[in-house]
Amino acid sequence: MLVIGEVHTGLLQNSGEISESTCRQVLGLMAGESVRVSRRPIVHALSPERLTGVDCALPAASRSRIRGVGTVVSRCAVTGGRVAQGSSYVRVVRSETDRRLPWSHYLSRPGVVEVLGKAKAADLAEGFTGDPAPGCLDLGAVSGRFLDLVQASPLLDRRAPFKIPRTSLRWVAETGEPSIRFTLHTEQERTLRLTHPGPFTPAVVDLCEDLATHDWLLTSLLVIVERARIGATPGAQAVARLAPAIDHLMHLWMPAARVEEWLTPFWESLERRPGFTRQWRSLVDRVRDQVAMNTLALLSATAEAGRR
Amino acid sequence: MLVFAISDKGGTGRSVTGTNIVYRHALQGNDVCYLDFDFGSPTAGAIFSVSAVARGTPENGLHEYLRGECPQPRRVDVWAESDREGLRTRPPGAGRLVLLPGSEGGGELSALTDEIVGRCVQLFGRLEEEFDLCMIDVSAGRSFTAELVLAATVRMPAVPFRWLVFHRWTRQHIIAADGLVAGADGLLDVGSRFGHDREDLRDRIRFVRTAVLEPDAAELVGLRDEQRAWLSACDSELRELAGRHGVGRTAMLGKIPLDPVLQWREQLITDEDVLASKIANAETAAAFDELAKKIVDDSAWEGL
Ligand SMILES: Nc1ncnc2c1ncn2[C@@H]1O[C@H](COP(=O)(O)OP(=O)(O)OP(=O)(O)O)[C@@H](O)[C@H]1O
Ligand SMILES: [Mg+2]
Repeated sequence: MLVIGEVHTGLLQNSGEISESTCRQVLGLMAGESVRVSRRPIVHALSPERLTGVDCALPAASRSRIRGVGTVVSRCAVTGGRVAQGSSYVRVVRSETDRRLPWSHYLSRPGVVEVLGKAKAADLAEGFTGDPAPGCLDLGAVSGRFLDLVQASPLLDRRAPFKIPRTSLRWVAETGEPSIRFTLHTEQERTLRLTHPGPFTPAVVDLCEDLATHDWLLTSLLVIVERARIGATPGAQAVARLAPAIDHLMHLWMPAARVEEWLTPFWESLERRPGFTRQWRSLVDRVRDQVAMNTLALLSATAEAGRR
Repeated sequence: MLVFAISDKGGTGRSVTGTNIVYRHALQGNDVCYLDFDFGSPTAGAIFSVSAVARGTPENGLHEYLRGECPQPRRVDVWAESDREGLRTRPPGAGRLVLLPGSEGGGELSALTDEIVGRCVQLFGRLEEEFDLCMIDVSAGRSFTAELVLAATVRMPAVPFRWLVFHRWTRQHIIAADGLVAGADGLLDVGSRFGHDREDLRDRIRFVRTAVLEPDAAELVGLRDEQRAWLSACDSELRELAGRHGVGRTAMLGKIPLDPVLQWREQLITDEDVLASKIANAETAAAFDELAKKIVDDSAWEGL
């Protein structure tokens, strides 16, 4: 029918970025299974997947009661030793029967939630990306807890270089004529509607996580630039406030690095509109210009002092 | 940084002072939030002039969150939702100012369970990621709420936290404030029972004197010489008493003068109240401003 997921992204609570080996330890939430790490073009570490059993109402725009039973897949990721994520998703399918089956049935189909009774995909998609009624399947709560697990790791010193909110990306993926729609809601909430050709594969989840990472980077850089109050405060002060972005964020922009070939057109479409990289570049240029101007001012002040 | 606000007695000025401190801290450019953990009477909304949550929120209050009845507690953006004209726009350079109201008609916590402590840890951990300062109004006296936050902070050893103990400048209040910290079943006792290091915890506690009338204050100009001499003698007696009870100058983070506006109404003192309408004293605003700085100034928190 459709796949729904939610990604929560935040700044890893550590003073500096963590090494690949620390990433492995932080994400090794389950003994016995290993963390997957890719190194190029940026270190990306992905925890083993975990299942959460659910038997609850699914969010529907019509507010009709739709019962779903099955398991949610969740995992955590750390990108560039700096950005942490908790991510969950389920494939929603129609059940063969109208009654609940023994758990062994659901456990043999990890990441699948079966709908007991009638349900329309469009109703669920609207409900999930709209304003889900309280008490429904809450993937955000699950993802938030997985992100908490990472952030509470004793290997982190919790002295993050700046305070910044987490963002959440709620996504719905369906099979059909290709299209993508990314929407900003409140300052921290985003939704993504994706229609892809061919059947769902976990590569779609990678795409959503990659988008969430970059949306968080962009959102956070915007916040830091706003806090710097360029033009309203003395240059040196503004530059000092921009420093955390230079030290910790600006090198992390690697759009579509982990996205499978057949899904890259979706990223490209978002690059055209709203234009993630365009906005990122202009912000980065702004930060660099501030630093350059401040350096020039300092240099000329020093030269002036030398002449006197 | 988590800052817990407590007092032994009710009506001490804990909420008014705490809210004014976070307000000043926001004006100083920091992102701040205020958590109304005074579950018995959650009135922080009234002080921020957010009438919709003046006596707590009907839905998704902190009490419900801790009991597991809602996934996340409601957040109120004071800059957007306050009814007070002077608060409704975020001044240039100011940080976020967010209130997490208590539940309307919530009632005190009646027991402490592992689930409640777990939810509290989750809440503090997440807020600490995004706010420079989180002030938690722990209510008055020995309570489950105080135990809850002591238990929660043990579980998050890397998260910085401090305590402010509010008291008035009277004999009874000085003795009571000391008792709340160092007395039987006080913060240090309960804290060490939960696993805090007693000395480390003591170093994280400072006192704040509220509604202080200095013997040389302008309000006292009309007094007779005999009255002034008597007040002066009382004041030095209290200072001596405070010193003996470990509530003296070294353990004091600051004091807030008695203010006519606050005597009549629980509210934030804005610069407009001081400069334009001139109803509040400049000293009061300055005292809040200074406390808002000292709260994060490590030199004010070196070991005693
Ligand atoms: N500096 C001050 N000058 C004059 N009055 C003050 C001052 N600070 C607080 N007050 C007044 O004292 C009263 C009690 O203050 P507040 O409500 O903040 O106390 P509290 O300790 O939070 O009480 P409770 O335990 O009931 O929550 C209020 O009427 C308040 O306006
Ligand atoms: Mg109060």
